[in-house]
Amino acid sequence: MILRLAGLRHLSRHPLQLMFSVVGVALGVAAVFSIDLANESAWRAFRISAQTVAGKATHRIVGGPSGLEEALYATLRRQGGMRTIAPVVEGYARVPARPGLTLHILGVDPFAEAPFRNYTRGTSAGVDIPRLLTRPGAVLLLEETAKRIGVSPGNALPLQVGIEPALATLAGFLRPGDEVTRQALETTAVADISTAQELLGKEGRLSRIDLLLPGGAEGEKALSRVRKILPPEAEILLAGARDNALEQMTRAFSLNLSALSLLVLVVGTFLVYNTMIFSVLQRRQLVGTLRALGVTRREVFTQFLSEAAVLGAAGTVLGLLLGYLLGEFLLGMVTRSIGDLYFALSVREVSVTAATLLKAVGLGTFGAVAASLGPAYEATSTPPRDVMRRSAIETGVRKILPAVSAAGAGLVLLGVGIQLYPSRSIPLSFGGLFSIVAGYALLAPGAATLLVRGIQPVLAAAFGTQGTMAARSISSSISRTGVAAAALVVAVSTTVGIGIMIDSFRRTVSDWLDQSLRSDIYVSSVEDRRGPDRTPLPPDLVEGVSSAPGIFQVTLVSWQTLESPTGFTELFVMRMPRESFNAFRFREGDARTAWEALHGGAVIVSDPYAYRHGIRKGDTVRLRTDRGERVFPVAGVYYDYSSDQGLVGILGETYDRFWDDRGVDSIGIRLSDGTSAEAAIGRIREIAGDRPVLIRSNRSLREASLRIFDRTFAVTNVLRFLTVLIAFVGVLNALMAIQMERGREHAVLRAIGLTPRQAWGLVAGESAVIGTVAGILAVPLGAAQALVLIRFINRRSFGWTMQTFVDPWVLLQAVALALAASLLAGLYPATRLARSSPARALQEE
Amino acid sequence: MSRRRALAILPFCVTALLAGWFLRRALAPLPAPSPPPASVTALLGGEDSGGFARATDPRAFRFPDDHGPHPEFLHEWWYFTGNLRTPVGRRFGYQLTFFRFALSGDPPARMSRWATNQAYMAHFALTDAEGSRFRHFERTSRGALGLAGATARPFRVWLDDWSAEGKNASTLPIRLRAVEDEASIDLVLDTTRPIVLQGDRGLSRKSAASGNASYYYSMTRLATRGSVRVDGVSFPVEGNSWLDREWGTSTLEKGQTGWDWFALQLSDGRDLMFYRLRSGDGVTDPFSAGTLVLPDGSVRPLSPDNVRIETLGYWKSPESGARYPSRWRMLLPSEGLKLEVVPRIADQELRTSVRYWEGAVGVRGTSRGEPVEGDGYVELTGYGETGRRNP
Repeated sequence: MILRLAGLRHLSRHPLQLMFSVVGVALGVAAVFSIDLANESAWRAFRISAQTVAGKATHRIVGGPSGLEEALYATLRRQGGMRTIAPVVEGYARVPARPGLTLHILGVDPFAEAPFRNYTRGTSAGVDIPRLLTRPGAVLLLEETAKRIGVSPGNALPLQVGIEPALATLAGFLRPGDEVTRQALETTAVADISTAQELLGKEGRLSRIDLLLPGGAEGEKALSRVRKILPPEAEILLAGARDNALEQMTRAFSLNLSALSLLVLVVGTFLVYNTMIFSVLQRRQLVGTLRALGVTRREVFTQFLSEAAVLGAAGTVLGLLLGYLLGEFLLGMVTRSIGDLYFALSVREVSVTAATLLKAVGLGTFGAVAASLGPAYEATSTPPRDVMRRSAIETGVRKILPAVSAAGAGLVLLGVGIQLYPSRSIPLSFGGLFSIVAGYALLAPGAATLLVRGIQPVLAAAFGTQGTMAARSISSSISRTGVAAAALVVAVSTTVGIGIMIDSFRRTVSDWLDQSLRSDIYVSSVEDRRGPDRTPLPPDLVEGVSSAPGIFQVTLVSWQTLESPTGFTELFVMRMPRESFNAFRFREGDARTAWEALHGGAVIVSDPYAYRHGIRKGDTVRLRTDRGERVFPVAGVYYDYSSDQGLVGILGETYDRFWDDRGVDSIGIRLSDGTSAEAAIGRIREIAGDRPVLIRSNRSLREASLRIFDRTFAVTNVLRFLTVLIAFVGVLNALMAIQMERGREHAVLRAIGLTPRQAWGLVAGESAVIGTVAGILAVPLGAAQALVLIRFINRRSFGWTMQTFVDPWVLLQAVALALAASLLAGLYPATRLARSSPARALQEE
Repeated sequence: MSRRRALAILPFCVTALLAGWFLRRALAPLPAPSPPPASVTALLGGEDSGGFARATDPRAFRFPDDHGPHPEFLHEWWYFTGNLRTPVGRRFGYQLTFFRFALSGDPPARMSRWATNQAYMAHFALTDAEGSRFRHFERTSRGALGLAGATARPFRVWLDDWSAEGKNASTLPIRLRAVEDEASIDLVLDTTRPIVLQGDRGLSRKSAASGNASYYYSMTRLATRGSVRVDGVSFPVEGNSWLDREWGTSTLEKGQTGWDWFALQLSDGRDLMFYRLRSGDGVTDPFSAGTLVLPDGSVRPLSPDNVRIETLGYWKSPESGARYPSRWRMLLPSEGLKLEVVPRIADQELRTSVRYWEGAVGVRGTSRGEPVEGDGYVELTGYGETGRRNP
């Protein structure tokens, strides 16, 4: 009881310290929790919508880039004897009345739907089926979606598909029987298959055919029956394969975010460690007294641990609240990034799962407890007599410093070894990164001591005795300053590492854009080719623009997605002059020989593709064409930063031989000398008429691409900011604690003649030294982190080859950050000391 | 409209569509307890028939064109039923019915080949008298893209791989095919008997209201041979089939709750069709009617005054709880006919989108004192909704 009171009293006497450690845990927990929330919610939304749209299908038949010939469906029914099959036509349309809203148009055949999907379970006669089938443009929406758009049944609902207008009519409401389906249908418009074809301009084609096959031999029999009928461009896939492939795509992305958020938490738990160390130090006399009075070790130990638990719990609760708010904010970013990088995803609500909650609570509380194990052990393991003498601790710490440093060096080596180990595991890489960080943190106190000793003469020269005192007091109180410095180093280095990584990446992409964007003007139908509403340009526009006067060269490109049992392959179809192709930079091979080989029917693959599939120049890739599966030789590996899944580049002439889709997604135009961009744009606008075609200059496309890049790293930047915040709080906490704890020492100094001004200078100086030292120590670790992130983690996660750019500014920022935090942290104790009366401070003893 | 079927159909169609659309059971033989089928009369009587042609006057039938579809009318069907026997005397009954109905008055002018205003539903049922098993199946489809449809030249009506088609350019002989995992039929039907126009020269009135009628003709005795496959075992079979063809736009009057339809082929060469429209109170509606076809093809119309039907027994469906009449005595005093009609098996209830009983029956009795026997089919509708009047 008395122990608990003592603990309480101690904490309440140091409210700032208490607050800082709670904030530290809270920020760490918030980082982990919010990232988890954002990731999980995005996943859940994805899975639900995938399941809702797939319904109960076990298999699906997919075609080439433009889907399947619709007659296949009738053939399967009439000759294949297939009964539980359903055709699907789907696509996306924007709602001009609600900018930003994109509807997923799901076209189904009501007559075939029964075994697959049920969107109107809640009603028996609410939907006027004949009308849905016969009325042109008739669609069904959720009532709430209709309200959001402001359309009521019977009303016209103007849509825009690509750059072409389409007119739908609201025929009624979807009434899903459960909440999950409702969520999944929030931005879905269900229509009869005929209507979907017409709205999306996909007459004659099907997006896919869903199958519901029994398991076992019967299913096998049915499969082989289906296979006999399938045309060469079609393939039958397991229904879940596509969703798995999509999930797989984004796994690295979310894994990276999770790992970085863990790093934030690690930095956060340093704060707890720090607080507990001081708590132990400050109460050493009390503990000694109590121990001398007969309180057992176990009781003391338990007391410290429970204090840490309370602290951790408080931080966790605060962190959960903070994390929830942050999670809602991050969810938008994560969703958009997934949209930018992979595929369209619509998530509106954060969903908290028990697992996410447990993870955050566990990490917060146990992290705090684990962090205080050392200090608590420290408090109980020393004999009562020694506990009361702080020099014993210092001596002890100094004694084990070499051992700690050795352990640290070992961990660093282990981490480096892990990176060099030839594996592609991302978690392993992160494990190695953590090992390096932890090892370096252990090295930090020793390194700091050495560094301080090194700068001692400098300080002595600059500030005289005070300088020497500041330096020496730091190294003599290494048990506390060491931890503070380590915390500071880890925090600052993390911001350095992430900073360098983002910077390098951005510079790499920017250089790449400079090289590869060779046209003057770009024409496309949508801003983002990965956008859900991606639609090829109308043929008349392509024709018209290509033959307009004043144009020197035209580059037509399209991106086509091929689906296979193992996932997706994105084809990059190029119709371009030799000059444009010369802009490609090759990792393997060169533009000249590749160009010749491409004309001979070869393909080139992008760097991430080659990395992911272990393909080198001279290997082959197997692609499912509209004429069946074909093998293409690989003529080179080129750098590309537009897709982390990788691209297979193919010439238009080769593509046309094997695929039937003739869509063009983007036109690049080089103007003849003497043609102004304005005049050319005016001409294109004329050809486009009132269709809202997107025309961008080289510069604006470049800027748009970088904007998307920045958006992808928005979440990472938030994490970086959190780390900075924690680092700041941590330093504040550590230094304040040091200075408060040394109140008596300072009082003595004051008593023996130090002026308030000098005292202020001493304390501030000490802080500045710690900050600077930590800042300097953070730079190598930051660089190491950046290196690991760039060379190993990003390569393994995304397959990208990045050049490393170290912006001195980032490094300077780091040192400045550490210094600023330290100075700020020293300010309060310094001022207090300067103002305090030495007599009173001494009296308190 | 003639009989029962007509009635059955419409509601079926509409409900089936509703049901088929996302309500789960439409495609499967449904064991699931269905929501109460929408009231037949409500659906038929309340139908907004704007934009559709109506059967108001007798018309000149033209064959083979009239074997084909009449898409301007709201609904139409090709109703094949028959009794078959294997060489060793094992009895089977089958029903293969194609329903067509229009979703709107005008065919849509649209780009997509899926767009249509024609929908099809088909029922296939097989009665295995010896195994005492009744199997039935339902399919629905749009009449587009070759998934389902009907043509007169050559004669063909189909839904997926269920079909009835003229073997050559002519309508007859007709080949019927329906395949399911558990049961299938492959039969060839032919006849020399002339087509029978029901009602007034083929105009079959359902009530006093003008236009509340359908065009209705029958082929009452189609010699049938082919094979039946049950549970993987194929049997050669022979027997007689009956084709009913009917199309129209409206059907039941308010107050009419259902019908009992009999189609019997007697050993003396006569074919008897009679449908009894039931009023809500169980009384026979005066618009009930039928025909007696003589071996030479001549036809005698029958009115409710000519036919007396007594129910001798009932069967209660364990599935739906509906209580159906299950044995009858039919008396046609003017023809000297006394017949007892007995279902081959009791449970021949189609638990499809709309429930009804349609089954093979045996006939035994006397004709002016001489023993006579025969086979036939009976259809019973409106029993699931006992006590319900039009809402």
